[in-house]
Amino acid sequence: MPKPGPVLLHKTGSQVTQEIRACIGCNECLLACPALAEPITIDVLNYETISGSISPPVARFARECYQCGACVSPCPVGLHRDSMMMWLKVRLLRSEREE
Amino acid sequence: MKAGSEKGYSVFFLHGSPARTFSTIMTFLIIGLAAGVYVWYSRVGNDPTPDSIVGYAFAFSGTTFLILAAVGFSMSRRSRKRVIGGLNGALHWHIAFAFIGLSLLFLHSFGNFNPRTGTYALYGMIALVISGFIGRTFDRLMPRLIAKEARKALTEQGEDRIESITRKLQSVVVHNTREELRAFTATPDVMVASGGRQNTTVVAPEPGKQRGGNSSQERQPQGDSAAALPTSWDLAYISLEETPQELGSDPQYRFVPDRKSALARPGALIPGAQEHMVSLQLVENALEREQFYRYIIRYWRIFHITLALTTIGLTLWHIEYALQLLIPVWLHH
Repeated sequence: MPKPGPVLLHKTGSQVTQEIRACIGCNECLLACPALAEPITIDVLNYETISGSISPPVARFARECYQCGACVSPCPVGLHRDSMMMWLKVRLLRSEREE
Repeated sequence: MKAGSEKGYSVFFLHGSPARTFSTIMTFLIIGLAAGVYVWYSRVGNDPTPDSIVGYAFAFSGTTFLILAAVGFSMSRRSRKRVIGGLNGALHWHIAFAFIGLSLLFLHSFGNFNPRTGTYALYGMIALVISGFIGRTFDRLMPRLIAKEARKALTEQGEDRIESITRKLQSVVVHNTREELRAFTATPDVMVASGGRQNTTVVAPEPGKQRGGNSSQERQPQGDSAAALPTSWDLAYISLEETPQELGSDPQYRFVPDRKSALARPGALIPGAQEHMVSLQLVENALEREQFYRYIIRYWRIFHITLALTTIGLTLWHIEYALQLLIPVWLHH
């Protein structure tokens, strides 16, 4: 059962960068994700979350992610992949405006 | 922020995956096959009722598919052997099995909705599948809305917008406080200025004259530095001389803003602050909405699970009712 009382999902850029630096690349979040349909490596996802261009598989994953939070509890270092995905979504939204 | 090869976040995106395609094809195939059997049996069969052979076949297969829908996804989530993308496939099969199960159980009724238990179970299943469908729609819409609100709450550089506005607001207040103090202490004499910010009347005494010129050398320099420097907390720096107020005969400081002056307007002493306050309010509203959308996602999931449990209960009730009718018949044969 999901816990009641959600907190804010988004984090600032510096917080996201900090979390990505703390990621140990164990893939547990990706294994627990019901939205991910195609294989993506955690390194690529981490890299594209904070900088550079967003490749089509990562963009598809970001759009498909529905913030269920299944990725949070399996993380052995207590990171919030859902917040990182939200950051990616915000980046995609901004790129929409740029387009 | 750059986004090279892939841009935009449309609501109407559709990414086909092998699991999605295969499960969709299977759903249509099975439902089509079942509908064909239903039409054939309705025309050819002599007993098109829920308790006919075909009716039972629909009931058992429909129940099996619903059990698969309910258990399959939960088992995959709890499984230790997982592969990337495996859960996504399980989710698509969960949806497919739910649709197939509902269709087969609907056909099982053969248009006979008299037994209440079965009708309630069917209603429960319809509500469950619809809630799942709405939930999937929310899963698509809500994260995008959350992202839009999060975008409002972040600056272009990705900083917290509230923090950024607060900093600006603080600097505006500090700046205006200095300006205000300067307006008070700029001239010790009677000052009547006109227009804009100086449209005030400040009546100030001249302590030096009152004390016979003795303290003219001790008087602090007026102006910016005097206004900016706060009084020391140290008691050693407090002058023991009488203050102008203590002299009794002195007129008190009076600040009389002109009613027509812009200064009489609320917030006039901190120009620019009002705009920041408004944008602060907008960001706070965005944060509230973000939280609300998350509540919708979470509580809809809880609602769907509750509905699933209710439907299981109604189905068990119907099975118990059906067995009460069927067991004597089976025993008689």
